[in-house]
Amino acid sequence: MPRFSWNSLKHFWQIHLTVALCTAVATGVLAGALIVGDSVRGSLRDLTTERLGAIQHALLADHFFQPELLQRQNKVPAILLNGTVVAPQTQTRASKVNILGVTDDFFTFWQEDTAPNLNKPAGQPFNAIVINEALQNELSVQVGDTLLVNMSQAADIHPEFLLGERDAADAIQSLRLVISDIIPTENVGRFSLQAHQSLPFNAFITLPVLQKALGQADKVNAVFTADTDPISAADLPLTVEALGLRIKTHEHHFDIQSQQYLLKPILSETALTVAAENRIPTLPTLTYLANTISANDKVIPYSTIVALPTDEGDFAKLLNMHTTEAQQLAYQQAREQKKEQVELEKDKLIKEKRKLRSTKKDREQAEKIIRDLKLLHEILHRPEIILNMWAAEDLGVKVGDEIIITYYSVGAEEAYITETALFRLKGILPIEGIAADRDVIPEFPGIHDSNDMSDWESPFPIDYTLVRDKDETYWDEYGATPKAFIPLNIGKRLWKNRFGDLTTIRFGIMPDSDIQATRTHFESEFLKKIQPEQIGFQFLSLQADGLQAATGATDFGMLFGSLSGFIIIAVALLIAMLFRLGVEQRSREIGILQAVGYPLVKIRRRFLYEGTAVAGIGSLLGCLLAVGYAKLMIFGLQTWWLPAIGTPFMELHVDPTSLVSGVLISLAIVMISIRITVQQLGETSTTALLAGETDFAEITLTQQTKQTEFSTRMSILKKIVITLVVVIITFFLFFDEWFSDIFGPWVEAPIIDFLLLTLTIIGIGWDAFGRWLKSQRVPRRFNRLRFALKNAARQPGRSTTCVKTISLACCIIVAVGVNRHDAPPETEYAFVAESALPLHHSLNTPDGKFELGFSEEASELLSESEIFPFRVLPGEDVSCLNLYQPQKPQILGAPDTMLEEFPWYKLKPVQPEGGKASAVGDAKSLRWILHHNPDDDFLIQDEFGKPLRLELETIENSLFQSQLIISESNFTKYFPSQSGYQFFLIKTPPTLREETAQVLEKTLGDYGFDLTSASDRLASYRAVENTYISTFQSLGGLGVLLGTFGLALIFFRNIIERRGELATLRAFGFRRQLLSRMLFLESCFLLVVGMCIGIAAGLVAPIVSQGHLPSFPWRSLTITLLFIFGFGIIANAIAVGVALRSPLLSTLKSE
Amino acid sequence: MLRNISLSFTGGTSVVITGPSGSGKSTLLHIIGTLEEPSNGIVEINNINPFTLSEPELAAYRNSVIGFVFQEHHLLPQYSVLENVLIPTLAFKRGTDATERAVQVLKRVGLTDRQSHRPAELSGGERQRVAIARALINQPDILLCDEPTGNLDIATTDTVANLLFELHRVEKTLLIVVTHNLSLTSRFDRHLKLIDGTCLES
Repeated sequence: MPRFSWNSLKHFWQIHLTVALCTAVATGVLAGALIVGDSVRGSLRDLTTERLGAIQHALLADHFFQPELLQRQNKVPAILLNGTVVAPQTQTRASKVNILGVTDDFFTFWQEDTAPNLNKPAGQPFNAIVINEALQNELSVQVGDTLLVNMSQAADIHPEFLLGERDAADAIQSLRLVISDIIPTENVGRFSLQAHQSLPFNAFITLPVLQKALGQADKVNAVFTADTDPISAADLPLTVEALGLRIKTHEHHFDIQSQQYLLKPILSETALTVAAENRIPTLPTLTYLANTISANDKVIPYSTIVALPTDEGDFAKLLNMHTTEAQQLAYQQAREQKKEQVELEKDKLIKEKRKLRSTKKDREQAEKIIRDLKLLHEILHRPEIILNMWAAEDLGVKVGDEIIITYYSVGAEEAYITETALFRLKGILPIEGIAADRDVIPEFPGIHDSNDMSDWESPFPIDYTLVRDKDETYWDEYGATPKAFIPLNIGKRLWKNRFGDLTTIRFGIMPDSDIQATRTHFESEFLKKIQPEQIGFQFLSLQADGLQAATGATDFGMLFGSLSGFIIIAVALLIAMLFRLGVEQRSREIGILQAVGYPLVKIRRRFLYEGTAVAGIGSLLGCLLAVGYAKLMIFGLQTWWLPAIGTPFMELHVDPTSLVSGVLISLAIVMISIRITVQQLGETSTTALLAGETDFAEITLTQQTKQTEFSTRMSILKKIVITLVVVIITFFLFFDEWFSDIFGPWVEAPIIDFLLLTLTIIGIGWDAFGRWLKSQRVPRRFNRLRFALKNAARQPGRSTTCVKTISLACCIIVAVGVNRHDAPPETEYAFVAESALPLHHSLNTPDGKFELGFSEEASELLSESEIFPFRVLPGEDVSCLNLYQPQKPQILGAPDTMLEEFPWYKLKPVQPEGGKASAVGDAKSLRWILHHNPDDDFLIQDEFGKPLRLELETIENSLFQSQLIISESNFTKYFPSQSGYQFFLIKTPPTLREETAQVLEKTLGDYGFDLTSASDRLASYRAVENTYISTFQSLGGLGVLLGTFGLALIFFRNIIERRGELATLRAFGFRRQLLSRMLFLESCFLLVVGMCIGIAAGLVAPIVSQGHLPSFPWRSLTITLLFIFGFGIIANAIAVGVALRSPLLSTLKSE
Repeated sequence: MLRNISLSFTGGTSVVITGPSGSGKSTLLHIIGTLEEPSNGIVEINNINPFTLSEPELAAYRNSVIGFVFQEHHLLPQYSVLENVLIPTLAFKRGTDATERAVQVLKRVGLTDRQSHRPAELSGGERQRVAIARALINQPDILLCDEPTGNLDIATTDTVANLLFELHRVEKTLLIVVTHNLSLTSRFDRHLKLIDGTCLES
């Protein structure tokens, strides 16, 4: 048998060569697709190792710390900041620049590179800066040019706290530097903590220069190591100083205060817990600055007020000591008197309310009454206040009098809001004891050390005209000594914010100990309870995380495998058809072998041997093609389909496993095709084979009249199966939600609808065509057209295969193409803006715009726009623009003004449950990039290292494909240290857009404020989608071309087999031209039928499943279909022309 | 292959051509049927040399003047019997519906009840009768048959031969048949023998 096979291989070399080539194509396409996947992953891996060099782990912090804190031998400290760089010479600006303060040690992580020249250039007054080529290109600068680097000024106090600096002059640190070197954007020039394939802008400055500029001598915010041991909390023994705390020890107590003014809640809570556990007495206080304390039309400006437990400890003792019985009585009487008044008023209102009916007017009246009742309740429960003697005298008040306090709070968009609180004077204290204790008051930066009140440099507005001589005298004598005291719970209610609710905690001596021992014990216990992650430290395994992320958000191997799927299917069908032709060509040989007693099994095996040998050779050839195909795809990704990857970074990576997998899978596909074809051998009678009858389907038709009982049963069985399929399809059409529930949300209901409808329509089309082919009906009129068309029934099997292949191809191309968006995307927003440095003033208020430096004209212009500012938690881009697998998404805090509209109202915190927040995310980003089921909560960590569950709501095709969004209130709750706004949506009338963009970018240039057209942003997301669709259409089109080529081949074969019939027609007077025309018409008929079924299925299914046809891409789809049709026509014309080239009439004679 | 052959036929006669394989029988028939042009000599049918006609004219001429029946019936399996018979009428537009004539011809060949059947559903003899009907649909002056019974058994051969003679009688065509079946020769008006390219009339 092997000898026979070898001889057969040689004899039928043409058909075998074609099969081998097709197998090579299948292998090449499949293995090539896998290699594309390898190449994307490999290139991302390379990028990761390139951008990180030998760095394995890092310690990062949201604040500056002494690098010595980290107990590791091999460590390289650095400062990493985000900023903007301006080139004054070229008037250019680059945002989102990585500003890196480094030492020469940092460059040793990249052994390929020598450290660039960071020395101060001779004769230059400015220090040196080294930039990478990407930044050079952005700024168009050269070595020797000066650059202005803007970055956020490091500050202990949060800019959004009352005492925090937020003016541009104070919040932004600018540094003028000279370019001493420009390094390529590779290795250290590519350094970035962000796993993204785009080129980073890097600027390197020597560490001491940056430390000095930021006022953070010897401190850094990052430490890197090449050690393979991960950095952990054990390597970072915390100290009180590292926590930003100050402890002042006195004879009988010690005070803890924070450099950030307010004690972080985690620290104050832990400190109080430790104190309680160790029976250390505590005095927690909250000091705030009042704008005014007033009563009796008299006003004391700018006074400190301390909130503390007024009814216990030293303060209560002092108060009791200095409060006479008459004063107590007066306080009680004042309260009772007010109580009587309030009760009378309350009764009156309640009676009035009872009379009201449910009319609209009455309802409004009822609401007013309720408001008044609340007010009365407040009056009734007016909190107590204690003034020092100086203040009481100044105001001329006595115990029981009402005291009004005004103070600033920081409201939405960081505006200063003047709040008012009313108190009842409970006592008056002399300035002594705790009432004179300035130690409980932390330092007010810019205020504390001023000689005069008029010298105060406060971040908030001060009306210096209010300051009187007596105030200055008080300042001179008592400094910031508090003038008033209120209960701690009231103070917290008024002044508590996300940064804390205490300013000082005073600790006494624990039982049987002294102050020093108490402090030592406290510190030890306290530090044990604090984890570095809770105070803004992060331990990162950069290399491992980077390599993990390099596995990619999108498996390009699978993607291209799927996209190339149609080529593979087309090739498989082509091989099946070719092999079938080969077998049919040898039908007589098979008949003879059967006649001489060869068992069918052996004959099949022989064909399988031949097929295996041919496919094997083809597969090996395919390995070479695979590499070529992968190279072509990579070239495509770097050029035609660049939007899919953003940056042309890819290089070929060939993994032998992929080659072997490609070979095995394609071989399996080919062998299945061959096996199915060979299996059909048994369905043909030996006599039919001996007679040289070829088309198996035709033979089956011939034998229809000789149906056996068995075949009748089979026919019944077939009908039952078809009925079952129809029932199942119908079931799923109406119960697909149930199907979704069972099979999970990965399979979306519309997809099921789409698939079922498409398959149903295609099935109906195929069935109708099959019925028409088998139709025995004789028409009333028989004309040339019918003659030509009915020729398709000559070999129904082949015709059906042609139609099926073309219809499937067109259906897929149309169905995919329908989702393409040719039209520019529409959005109600004009711009999306991002700023490298946070904005702390509103762009919607005149004051905010003034603070940000807008002129009156510009401010006027901006008032025509509506600007929605978002807070930003830095993280990774989770959109399709990022090829890496993001692990820590960027989070936005949506402003309250947006929460009334759909879908943002879903972000409103419904339950004040801790550790949980509502979030909105783009469905596609969640599903395909984060690989997360939107029905499940998404888990992230809050700023304190605690898990935060995000309850997801999805949106589609929005501007927010790169981030997850939570409400601003949740944002500030879980990420309190993040300050300002860095992401903006802007609505601007079309006519003002250009002008508005110019004004914003110019005025906010120092912040690195960059605007992008919202439509362009959407288009960039769509471009990726469209690119995938284009890729699919290109590859699908290639598959169709292959299919069409196969069909042309089959058609050619058909004509050759029908030469006798055609010759007879010639004998009857049919001209060659007429025959050609009719054959061409026949082939086009198959093409058109196939295309019509496919187009109908591809169009109708989305319309029915989605209820409408979304922005239909007529142009691209029509071009694609015309191209397919054109190619089909040309291929058919060639097939007809070649087949009819030799004289037909000689066929008659050769019989 | 054929040498020094000079033959003339008159309408309404029946001619049989016999000879060993390779003697040139089919070539002669094809030359008469204008399917093949002789390298030398002249063919005239009704005083017209068809080989002087252009390709379309020759095709039209053949379509209207000559009918063919081959050993392989070459029926198109996808069409019904009636449609197969009608096929020659499609080569040129004549403006009349040939269906009635096809039905009549099928009636004459005894296949009235089989006209909607497919060739695959017919016996060998029936298929050849359809081929004959197809050859006669355009009422040709000449009916050329190349081994019309070559693939048939004896009984069917007689049936088909009888049909040919019957139709020849009724249609008054010139019937030229190439055959190996010597038992039929006596029924023809003329018997031509071809031996090594030369023609003998017996």
